[in-house]
Amino acid sequence: MNAHTGPLASLRSALPFGSGGSSPDGAPVNAPAGANAGSVLAQHEDQPLLELRGIAKQFPGVRALDGVSFAVRAGEVHMLLGENGAGKSTLMKVMSGVYRADEGEFLHLGEPVQIQSPKDAQALGVAVIYQEFSLVPHLDIAQNIFIGREFPGRLPGTINNARAHVEAKKVLDLLGFDCDTHTPVERLGVAQQQMVEIAKALSQRARILVMDEPTAPLSERETENLFRVIRMLKQDGVAIVYISHRMSEVFALGERITVLRDGRMVGATRPADTTPAELVRMMVGRDVDLTYARRFCETPGVPALVMRGVDSPNGIHDVNLEVRAGEIVGLAGLVGSGRSEVARAAFGIDPVSAGDVEVYGKRRRGEPHQSVKLGMALIPESRKHEGLAVTRSVGDNLMLSGLGKLFPGGWFRPREARQLARDMITELRIATPTVGRRTAFLSGGNQQKIVIGKWLATGARLFIFDEPTRGIDVGAKAEIFALIGKLVEEGAAVLLISSELLEIVHVCDRAYVMREGTVAGHLGRDQLSEENLLALGMHDA
Amino acid sequence: MRNVQGMDAPHRWMAVPAGVPGVAWMMVAMLVGFTALNRQFVDVANLVNIGSQSSILLLIALPMTFVILTEGIDVSAGAVAAASSVALGCVMQAGAHTWLGIVAAIGTGTLFGLLNGSLIAWLRLPPFVVTLGTMGMAQGIALLLSGGQSITGIGTAIPVFYNGAVLGVPAPLVVAALAYVLNHVLMYRSRVGIYARAIGGNPEALRFAGVSARAWQIGIYTFAGAMFGIAAVLLTARMSTAHPTASLGLEFDAIAAVIVGGTSFEKGKGGLPGTLLGVLTIGMLRNGLDLVGVPSSVQVSCIGVLVLLALFVEGWKTR
Amino acid sequence: MNHSLASFSSLIKPGENVSKLVSRLAAVLIVAIALSFASDAFLTPGNLLNVLRQASLLFLMASGLTLVVLTAGIDLSIGANVALSACLAGTVIKATGSPLAGAAVALASGTLVGLANGGLVAILRMPSFIATYGMMWLINGYTYYFMAGNTIYGFPHGFRQLGSGYLFSIPVPVYLMLVFLALAALFAGRTIYGQQVYAIGSNPVAARFSGVPVKSRLVLVYTLSGLMAGLGSLVFLARLNSAEGDIGEPLTLPAIAAVLIGGTSLFGGIGTPYGTLIGALLLTLVLNGLNLLNIDANWQPFVTGAIIIVAVLVDSLSRRRQEARA
Repeated sequence: MNAHTGPLASLRSALPFGSGGSSPDGAPVNAPAGANAGSVLAQHEDQPLLELRGIAKQFPGVRALDGVSFAVRAGEVHMLLGENGAGKSTLMKVMSGVYRADEGEFLHLGEPVQIQSPKDAQALGVAVIYQEFSLVPHLDIAQNIFIGREFPGRLPGTINNARAHVEAKKVLDLLGFDCDTHTPVERLGVAQQQMVEIAKALSQRARILVMDEPTAPLSERETENLFRVIRMLKQDGVAIVYISHRMSEVFALGERITVLRDGRMVGATRPADTTPAELVRMMVGRDVDLTYARRFCETPGVPALVMRGVDSPNGIHDVNLEVRAGEIVGLAGLVGSGRSEVARAAFGIDPVSAGDVEVYGKRRRGEPHQSVKLGMALIPESRKHEGLAVTRSVGDNLMLSGLGKLFPGGWFRPREARQLARDMITELRIATPTVGRRTAFLSGGNQQKIVIGKWLATGARLFIFDEPTRGIDVGAKAEIFALIGKLVEEGAAVLLISSELLEIVHVCDRAYVMREGTVAGHLGRDQLSEENLLALGMHDA
Repeated sequence: MRNVQGMDAPHRWMAVPAGVPGVAWMMVAMLVGFTALNRQFVDVANLVNIGSQSSILLLIALPMTFVILTEGIDVSAGAVAAASSVALGCVMQAGAHTWLGIVAAIGTGTLFGLLNGSLIAWLRLPPFVVTLGTMGMAQGIALLLSGGQSITGIGTAIPVFYNGAVLGVPAPLVVAALAYVLNHVLMYRSRVGIYARAIGGNPEALRFAGVSARAWQIGIYTFAGAMFGIAAVLLTARMSTAHPTASLGLEFDAIAAVIVGGTSFEKGKGGLPGTLLGVLTIGMLRNGLDLVGVPSSVQVSCIGVLVLLALFVEGWKTR
Repeated sequence: MNHSLASFSSLIKPGENVSKLVSRLAAVLIVAIALSFASDAFLTPGNLLNVLRQASLLFLMASGLTLVVLTAGIDLSIGANVALSACLAGTVIKATGSPLAGAAVALASGTLVGLANGGLVAILRMPSFIATYGMMWLINGYTYYFMAGNTIYGFPHGFRQLGSGYLFSIPVPVYLMLVFLALAALFAGRTIYGQQVYAIGSNPVAARFSGVPVKSRLVLVYTLSGLMAGLGSLVFLARLNSAEGDIGEPLTLPAIAAVLIGGTSLFGGIGTPYGTLIGALLLTLVLNGLNLLNIDANWQPFVTGAIIIVAVLVDSLSRRRQEARA
């Protein structure tokens, strides 16, 4: 854990920081390797490199981070876990200065510091590797590494490209990545682009590396290579914040674990002190309404949805599953396992490159509007972006999918539509003063009811729900489950995607479990339990 | 951007935009085709003519490349050049010194560029509508200052910029070459080119690096405006008068040249060599069609076909 | 009881669209009043009818464009479309003496152009401004070639009534404007396609997820825009009693301005043909005012350009305020 004995040490003194006004301002950790650095480090060895206390960040209408405290120590891999929307990405951006925290403080080696801009964070040695890489596709490797920190050329205003290539090569060699730095990054594979991102961070003399789901797009071999690099960095005293959903990685690489949920810190522990099940519980931990009693399906009807050997460019392969009328079939799996992708491929949002999708015996192909004709409905993961036009009224949204069915001649009758919408509002108990209220002003639960209600007018017989109860209060949750129950009682088929294992156990007749893009297994009614779902969802290796 | 490949080391790729080979083929085809239709096409005098006439277009297309790289567009170029030309004419007619006239032209262009940049980058208004609006405004100013008439009597100094020669090389070619060098330095040897591609390709990259994408965007549009002003000088020199509407529509040729040359609206792809070839292609097309007797109006259609073709191919590839 | 109360209040409380229209109508009145003070010539019947006629002609162009802008697109080729359709129709009328034949040709030509635009935007996924920009130049070129610098003039008297005639002392184009308004408003407000168009403009992703056939609808609006431009070209032809290559040129910018002033947002999903009508009126009043006040005609492109920028600015600011509240 020493800055002057690790493999990067010799490089660090040779590595120029690049220019552009972002040279470190006397921050002790960034001093050139030498006796000085050693003693400074020794003094502060027990202090975290970076500590966040009580960080809060507010966006209009949502508190993305609320009282988050978090410490990063040299040479440690700190795992950051949480569902989509838990606040991990916001936390990363606050740490890297892209967002400014509304409340809270930062401490560097025990001393208070400010992080108000990316340059501040860079000065402290923070570098982030985003999941959607921050690379410019048509610039080459060297240009991407030194973007914003170009080396000045001889004439004023010009830059020194040659030097950038030389310095880029140095860093890349260190990472064991052999390539031509003149290559535009769009021509690189994902793993290679990741290497460029890491090189970018290293060239900034990063002491704290934040990595967001780094292994998501990688193959096993590439993952091993990444781990090798991470271990090398650890030895060098670099602190790593690692965001991941893969339990195997969390327990293999991590020294500490912090779990975020809905913007708050709900758990801080070490791998030795916890289990995957507990972590999942912490991540998802919604108040499951166990009072909801369901009549399970004794006699399932005809197959409503059949997927055979389905591949899709969105990442799923060889997906086989079946949902019959009258059933609620669950689709479980850890985040990133491909559940939403299955829904998208089934519905026609993403193309199907191999295999068949059949809806009530008919082959389903083409765009979503054709799926609707076959009686399909999708309640997507993201209400605001995929499920609703939030700038439009409740009535407009409720009517949208059913327009063709309700007004077969093509003539739209606003008064009739408003009345139909009002009826639906009453039936679903959507809390809105008027039909014309803009959807954006409604609560999450009510918005979700609108998304579901939208499909009721189409006479759909097959419903795919993707995380229907995420971000919804308990009362609304119960109502939604009651609704789903009613749908299947009336003979429809439901595929329910959920991260909340208890939900699946409690509500579903049976469940499939996704893992790494394909169906890892199936659990019948008697086999449905949290443990079994988790076991199937995780890498057994 | 996410193509899943193995961890193999990539070979040394030629850093040449993919569109260039396409336009090169087009040029060859035209060279052969037009020569077959009219032998005069390959006369030295004619080729030099193509070069001279294309020089004005080059002055507009080069900065347009930067603008399109940022995923923007500037349809006000022709009108801005007209306004700059009229400004030049007014100053020269008043008997002022040549350099003052040139300053007036470049200044007018720069001001419009600054206006465009501010509206687009600061206020974040869509580029095509903004420049459509400034096009109207520039057109109006050109008409107002000139009273709708050509401004003759601008003296003998300005026309030298088109009709003169430096060491035997026609002046417009010299100006075009200098402009190319300047733009080349900006694109490949300074941060402007890098940031232009970043603004179009992934503005987040700049944001995370702490660079103000907005400031650089304003700079790019302002620079474009200045270049349009320089083009106006050449234009005025060529006609020996300042005409308020002669350059209207030039932006179409320029945008066409940039697109045909391989710079697309796709995420910052393309470059100056392609634009140069694109300009020459358009120049050859116009000249060739002239020699064959095709009226100017149809030439415009042909260019339109070329552009749609280029975009079609691009759209098909990225489907 | 609750139902009727709620619906009643939504009737009397002006929806957002209605208040926008009202404020713009007020602007029209203000400008009209100001002009009547500024110039004696304004309130004369001759001038007012002229304004109405001009506004109608403008609206004929802008009505179809409104539908395109509702999908967050734009059609820069309408001016060229009008020119092409007018020239083709004019040629046919002169040749056959039949206005109906001419009308058929205008319709066909306008629709074909619209269809082509729709294909480029929806199927090839080109940005609409670039696709229609290229199309504009393409058509312009062909029209000039076709006309070979000539002007066609002298059409049958009956046909000319379409543009220059009066019906009960009101210019015929005004009636046509009302017809176009009805057509556009019917499409936007009373057909399911219109509802889908609004959905596409507001959130194209959600529209697709909701089963709206996005591509088909996009092709539809561009085709409609082309068709209406084709129909409108007949009125221009009748009014000008001549056709030449460049009659479309001065029309595009004011048409866009009218749509924007009318409150239709460039970002899609907001706006109505009624708004465009008011926008056309407002713009025509302003330009008319410039004329009456003897301001140099050369100010018109400047004013139109400036108005476009201001309209986009207002649109963008109001959009951002809306998003902040959501």
